[in-house]
Amino acid sequence: MVGGGVIQQILRRKLHSQSLTTPVRSWFSSKNAHVEAGSSGVRAFALLGAGVTGLLSFSTVASADEAEHGLACPDYPWPHDGILSSYDHASIRRGHQVYQQVCASCHSMSLISYRDLVGVAYTEEEAKAMAAEIEVVDGPNDEGEMFTRPGKLSDRLPQPYANESAARFANGGAYPPDLSLITKARHNGQNYVFALLTGYRDPPAGISIREGLHYNPYFPGGAIAMPKMLNDEAVEYEDGVPATEAQMGKDVVSFLSWAAEPEMEERKLMGFKWIFLLSLALLQAAYYRRLKWSVLKSRKLVLDVVN
Amino acid sequence: MNLEKTDFNNTTSSVGLYFIVYSDRAEDEVVDPKKYLEESCKPKCVKPLLEYQACVKRIQGDDSGHKHCTGQYFDYWHCIDKCVAPKLFAKLK
Repeated sequence: MVGGGVIQQILRRKLHSQSLTTPVRSWFSSKNAHVEAGSSGVRAFALLGAGVTGLLSFSTVASADEAEHGLACPDYPWPHDGILSSYDHASIRRGHQVYQQVCASCHSMSLISYRDLVGVAYTEEEAKAMAAEIEVVDGPNDEGEMFTRPGKLSDRLPQPYANESAARFANGGAYPPDLSLITKARHNGQNYVFALLTGYRDPPAGISIREGLHYNPYFPGGAIAMPKMLNDEAVEYEDGVPATEAQMGKDVVSFLSWAAEPEMEERKLMGFKWIFLLSLALLQAAYYRRLKWSVLKSRKLVLDVVN
Repeated sequence: MNLEKTDFNNTTSSVGLYFIVYSDRAEDEVVDPKKYLEESCKPKCVKPLLEYQACVKRIQGDDSGHKHCTGQYFDYWHCIDKCVAPKLFAKLK
């Protein structure tokens, strides 16, 4: 913003200095008559054009800019952030509970299967029991008909709507995105989703949001279709942890982070192992190179002057 | 409050000892740590808050609908967020 104003001043000064030496009329006449003499005039004209465009776009962009990008979200100290830190699996389990009870009515997670939860958030028996609670369309059977059966571990998490159009129709034209990869699909995803979910506030003075939308400063543009879903004690956690808004937000984001990056723990272990081994290999390679080159590098060249 | 009476029968005495245990049930009102921290961070962010309030006052009479205080609002909440973020997770499980 400040840069724009500075550039404006520089351009004005340049134009003023030029206009002092050459009056405007002679600019145009010289421009038409001589190419060389008029080149400085053309340049000045171009600068003027650029300056005016800059000024015009400047004034409209500045006012829309901040809300357009949304309020920058802060960085929260996620427990799984460190170079060798794993997920908090108790948090993932609670987060899945929050997803199931609060979010699943509108948001699908169609890339996650029940079997993915085994060993991460639930035991096999628990996951099987959860899967069995849903009805899945399967088939065709021997008679050629589709039938419904209780879910199995291999089934994906159920979708709330049959297709995107149905989802949009049920939500005032807005599509609740699939959450399987959401923390990777948004810039600074984990912090953004947490800030968004816990950031519903009254709009600033002068901003009014139309009926059907809600104000959220972190959402680009500020007007989001989703209402505030996390309210204190909306969920009762199995492990007795108090379900405050911030707690549910942290747990559901942990769950979503796992869903988007289930390989994270293995990746970190692999990364640590291979960076260590490759560092050793680097040292070995450096030693070997220097060993081989030592023959040449320790040559002595004698310059003999022939008289 | 939970009152639990445990009969503690001491064989050496004829009178049973009564052991009363009081246990506090969890508070009916849970306090959201984020809201609490946002309140406690307000003193640190007085300057942007006053800027915002000054802006609100400035645009009070405006009917054109073009004036708004998003900038000052963002500055204030950015300050609060920066203050709250490092402390919040320590208060959560």
